Amino acid sequence: MNAPAQRLKKVVPVPYTRYLPDVVRRNLGHWVDRKQHGAGIMEHISDTGDHLFTVKVGGTPNVRFSTRTLRKFVDIANEHGLHSLRFTRSGSIEIFAGDLASAKRVQQAVEEIGFHVGGWGHTLWSIGSCTAYLTCTTAVIDAPSLTNALYNRLVPYFTGEVELPAKLRVNVGGCPTGCGGLVADIVLTGHYGAVPGYDPEKIRLCLPARADVLDKVVPEVQMVCPVNAIRSFAKPDGSVGIEIIEKKCIGCGRCKDVCDHITWDPAKSGVSVLIGGKSSNTGVGPTMARVLVPWIPARPPDYREAVAVVQKIIDVWRANARPGERVADFIERVGMPAVFDLLGVPASRWNRPTAPDTGFGVRQFVAR
Amino acid sequence: MEEAKEATDSRSSSVRRGLEILDRVEAGGSWPSHITELKQSGYPLEAYAQGLGDGVSPWFGGSARIPYVYVGFIARRTKDGKHTELHFRVYHPSGQIYRTDDLGKLLDFADNFGLGLVETVGQTGDLVIPVQAEHADRAVDEIRALGTDLGGTGDTFRDTAVCVGPALCEYALFDTLAARDHYFQLPAVYEKLSSQLFPFKIKLKASGCPMDCARAVQRSDFAFVGTWQGAPSVDPEALRVKTEAGEVDPARLAAECPGHAIGWDAASRSLSIDGAKCQKSMNCIRAAFPAIRPGTDRKVAFLVGANAKGRYGPKMAKPVALLDDPAEAGEFMIRLIDYWADRAPHKDRLGDFLVKEGFEHLKVEFKDALTVEESGTPASASRIVTSAVLSDADRDRYAAWAESIAKEYDG
Repeated sequence: MNAPAQRLKKVVPVPYTRYLPDVVRRNLGHWVDRKQHGAGIMEHISDTGDHLFTVKVGGTPNVRFSTRTLRKFVDIANEHGLHSLRFTRSGSIEIFAGDLASAKRVQQAVEEIGFHVGGWGHTLWSIGSCTAYLTCTTAVIDAPSLTNALYNRLVPYFTGEVELPAKLRVNVGGCPTGCGGLVADIVLTGHYGAVPGYDPEKIRLCLPARADVLDKVVPEVQMVCPVNAIRSFAKPDGSVGIEIIEKKCIGCGRCKDVCDHITWDPAKSGVSVLIGGKSSNTGVGPTMARVLVPWIPARPPDYREAVAVVQKIIDVWRANARPGERVADFIERVGMPAVFDLLGVPASRWNRPTAPDTGFGVRQFVAR
Repeated sequence: MEEAKEATDSRSSSVRRGLEILDRVEAGGSWPSHITELKQSGYPLEAYAQGLGDGVSPWFGGSARIPYVYVGFIARRTKDGKHTELHFRVYHPSGQIYRTDDLGKLLDFADNFGLGLVETVGQTGDLVIPVQAEHADRAVDEIRALGTDLGGTGDTFRDTAVCVGPALCEYALFDTLAARDHYFQLPAVYEKLSSQLFPFKIKLKASGCPMDCARAVQRSDFAFVGTWQGAPSVDPEALRVKTEAGEVDPARLAAECPGHAIGWDAASRSLSIDGAKCQKSMNCIRAAFPAIRPGTDRKVAFLVGANAKGRYGPKMAKPVALLDDPAEAGEFMIRLIDYWADRAPHKDRLGDFLVKEGFEHLKVEFKDALTVEESGTPASASRIVTSAVLSDADRDRYAAWAESIAKEYDG
């Protein structure tokens, strides 16, 4: 082992130019145009005269790949492509090719091993999914299997077989944190559906041992609650008890973040459906998705209701949006109440029909 | 004794039920399944099955100790103690672009020290590699020999994420990849990569243009986004060629401009853009590039305080300044981190802290570090609640609605 002082230091992968394939290194900052060939092949045009083709492959849910499968992509990139590829932030794999014919051979080889090529332009882009039951301690529902069920239904939108009004992004998160972020046109987020409970025995592991410190210390599980819905008190035996106040609780899960022994009833858990998020400054600019439906069931393996609701939202958007209008822009034009009407969603205090807030990002620097 | 036996039986029945669910998910359609990948690896599928069988995550926090490495790995154990899981978060090179020979070495690592399984991009942007706990110590040396390292976990300065920038994109207004390299190596940031001395995690993201592919404005404590001042640049001759070829419809560009900044005079066939109204939406630029391009007065917008996960829920970034170079924000950023670290309670993200503390006086206090823009509307959405605490009657009502939609599609 290295000396401790040395071992404490991180090795950061810099400079980035060290990792680049030649075609990218010699064209850094020289790209001047692009041309799309179908839903999954992009031609990048450089002022040096180079043309680089990238073939976009949809990843598995939560982008879990065996090394065996990734080696197949390596083989395809070596045989037909430019011995290089890129993992996108959203979990696609872009394989680099030197000309259109090679790119098409890459696409064919990828399809032969069971993967789909697409996800550019007016299509479904890769679905963001957190890890949920694969590694996460706070997951309420399992995002990857729900993502799998969604993908199976939405394949034609990814491959471009069925065209959409604009780009569509879907994120799936297993708990109220929504690790995929509220930056997608449609967001599904797992939550308890009711006030969470706690394991009456093990909760003491998340609390001070003795109640006489309560005047000096606020238990962390109580402190992190943004709405003061957790109260701690001294029990007659001198230990600490807690109470979760249902009337105040918003089910956000901050308490579960810091204490493994917060529990919930799986029969009441489900997903909320949010719409109208996006990161780009196009149209109304970056927005965070708003709640359309506060709760629907999330039942594996089919996730029948959740998949149908996503399909329904897409169909309503397809039927009513103008060309190039993302979900947020569509909501801005017709109004959220109209969207609720089109979908027949009952409103409550958990899903008021208000449009996402706008005016964020770089446009905050434009004087009004 | 009898009770213990029953508990064992019920556990195995939930695993059995879970395994059936996994088989049905895997066989559910044409999309390649993560379950196929898990089966080809050393991942403990029974743990995953137990989760699906029970309808709750099977994992609790676990523990692992790697000498003198405090950040970058996460240990889990199942509630029944049968399975453990340890994974490394590994830095990708900026842009996540690989030559296949380099990638092959990482795959060898995942085979030799791991389970033959990776998550190609985690939510922070790292390459996630489950590893064998008994070889974790040697695995750290091995991954460093490959020129990279364990990324960020816990209350630390996490991996930084940037869009692909000039490596592949003609819209990049600054070198996002170089910006990531810069901040990784800045001593005051570099020292924060290895310790967990902060109230919560710290994220930095950079996007080369206003389309913000890195989602910096929504998901990072420190956001850098390429932009410009004034109007986009128009090459009238190139635009005329594109218009006559039918590639661009200037009347439509004018009608669809989000800032209503474009004027199109059909008689004289001239297009004008009012820089004061331009929202940098990229609408006309994407339609007519390169005849219409970003303006020449290029800037990097610097914003702070966004997050997905935080005390008061997800929130958008607050505007700070327009920079000529992302490096200019370094001192301001470090001072703000120090100020927050000294005062915020555990699990308050920077954005949460700014909600409570206010931000305007900090801009003044740190004005020698950075000249802050006076323009802009410091709007910020907070208290976005994704969850709901519902009564049985409420859930029944929404379940009935969902059922009506499901019937429409599946009968």
